[in-house]
Amino acid sequence: MATVTYKNASRLYSKAQRKAVDGLNLEIGDGEFVVLVGPSGCGKTTSLRMLAGLENVDEGEILIGDRNVVNLPPRSRDIAMVFQNYALYPHMNVAQNMGFALKIAKVKRSEIDTRVQEAAAILDLQDYLQRKPGQLSGGQRQRVAMGRAIVRQPRVFLMDEPLSNLDAKLRVATRSQIHALQRRLGVTTIYVTHDQVEAMTMGDRVAVMKDGVLQQVDAPRRLYDSPVNAFVAGFIGSPAMNLMQGTLTADGVMIGSTVVPVPRDLQKAAGTGTVTIGLRPEALEIAGDGPGIPVVVNLVEELGAEAYVYAQLAEHAALATVTRTPDVIVRVDPHSAPSSGAKVALHVKAESMLLFDSESGARITGAEQ
Amino acid sequence: MLARRYVFRLIALAILLVFAAFFFVPIMWLILAPTKTDYQLVHESPFAFGSFGTFARTFSRVINYQGQLMLIWLKNSAIYSVGGTVLALAAAIPAGYGLALTQFIGRRALLAITLVVMIMPATALVLPLFLEASAVHLLGTVWAVILPFAFFPFGVYLAYIYFSSTIPRDLLAAARIDGAGEWGVFRHVALPLARPIVALVAFFAFVADWNNYYLPFVMTYTNSQYPVTIGLQILIGSAPVFSPTASGFAGSEIYRPDLAMATLIAITPVLIIFLFAQRTLVQGMLAGATKE
Repeated sequence: MATVTYKNASRLYSKAQRKAVDGLNLEIGDGEFVVLVGPSGCGKTTSLRMLAGLENVDEGEILIGDRNVVNLPPRSRDIAMVFQNYALYPHMNVAQNMGFALKIAKVKRSEIDTRVQEAAAILDLQDYLQRKPGQLSGGQRQRVAMGRAIVRQPRVFLMDEPLSNLDAKLRVATRSQIHALQRRLGVTTIYVTHDQVEAMTMGDRVAVMKDGVLQQVDAPRRLYDSPVNAFVAGFIGSPAMNLMQGTLTADGVMIGSTVVPVPRDLQKAAGTGTVTIGLRPEALEIAGDGPGIPVVVNLVEELGAEAYVYAQLAEHAALATVTRTPDVIVRVDPHSAPSSGAKVALHVKAESMLLFDSESGARITGAEQ
Repeated sequence: MLARRYVFRLIALAILLVFAAFFFVPIMWLILAPTKTDYQLVHESPFAFGSFGTFARTFSRVINYQGQLMLIWLKNSAIYSVGGTVLALAAAIPAGYGLALTQFIGRRALLAITLVVMIMPATALVLPLFLEASAVHLLGTVWAVILPFAFFPFGVYLAYIYFSSTIPRDLLAAARIDGAGEWGVFRHVALPLARPIVALVAFFAFVADWNNYYLPFVMTYTNSQYPVTIGLQILIGSAPVFSPTASGFAGSEIYRPDLAMATLIAITPVLIIFLFAQRTLVQGMLAGATKE
């Protein structure tokens, strides 16, 4: 078990315009579960493979414990990795797959058997130890890949989208299993995913990356409540945060032709001009016919416990689809959801409003922040 | 319409049959020839069957020619071919793996050279190889034949294609992370998965070595060193029909059915190897490695 530290680590592929990973700084505590998340091509998998030793580190350092591992081959780093496609050895049975690392390390046969049995018990694989990977289902293969990692008792677990090949239901179940397993073993874990729900539910902390650059690393709650910029705000959360352009006025911010009040300190910090307004679906509510932003409901998505209203600003509703702004999404009680086509007013919970610089995307914070 | 399609199919069938017959007739003739005496071979229909008794007598005459020389030639062929194949495999499989799955300076150049020497006729190299073998005093030893046989760029290329197209990189990455060094990755992961290509390269190498005539002809001097390909040539040379000056010892004359018999004996080992190799050539080793 160990800490992991990225110090200004970069990866530049030859012929590439920009760095695949650009000056990554990240400190991961002993036993911590950190999720790297971002859209495809953001450098999250490259960051992981740099730590594994499968990619060169062109600049900077990566430390496991307090040892710089940049020049060590993968086998000397004492890490275990679960691959997206599992990468099980097809010619070995499950027990041999799980025990391979120990066999290479010249651990005694009896010791290997014991540890494989233990891991198999944890992962419910005892009945499959003699099977070849080709005879297993996707979920079983995924568990074998996990088993191969935990048998090692490594200092760090690396997981590269280990759930992406499972169907939705199995993915949710396995998600909590991996989380519980990590808690139980207490091994430092770095987990890569493009799925922000996975990131939010599993990570002690979540690192959001974009274009090779780390945007923010924080606990899921803080990431959701206090994103540092419009990208993180839009990426985290499902459905996504509503991001709208607005003009600052003396009384607040103008969305369409409606002025919405802004908390004083935020108003002061924002100054004048245009800003990007961020509103979570739950930061809006249907105000009936009271004062608020007039919208036309396009679609209501019923999810059982909640419903999401997709609506268009009333003054834009008549425009052709291509010139419209994206729908505003509002979370509502399914029992009082408006029907599509209805004209309603939206009330903004001002305290939940976020403002971003419309140029840089950086969050504008009030005095109390 | 239907009638026209029918006609086309008939024409296609006829053409195929003519070609099939063209290639099949010589084999047929070869198999039937040892069942006949030399007189029958010349005077009866080419597809006439002689008798099993004649076949057995022909077989025994070929085997017993000059103190079972045929068996010595077969043994020599086996030594050269097995030795050459083993060395070719030992070189070609790791080379193909290295070219396909590792990074090193000069990789592309080596690959290009492999292709170039692959298209070079093997015969063109025999003379320089002879001079080389002579310089290191290997002429007349088995190594003068086996070592050149180990040079098998076609096998390198086959292995390269196989490794680069069928082994997922992540599988090797997994082994590296599991603690294997480069040799361990090859030995424990790549090689066990390469069985089909090992069988294929072995088969091609063996056939090429077994059928090679010119190289052993240059490198070896005596009956006791010759492989069966040269043996066949010697048999033809001692058949009075083909070389009027040849005067066999009493009772050891060689006739045309004997030559056909010798040819059949010479190709039998290759046929047997093929039947065995075919089983291993069956694919399916990689099923379940990764999820596509």
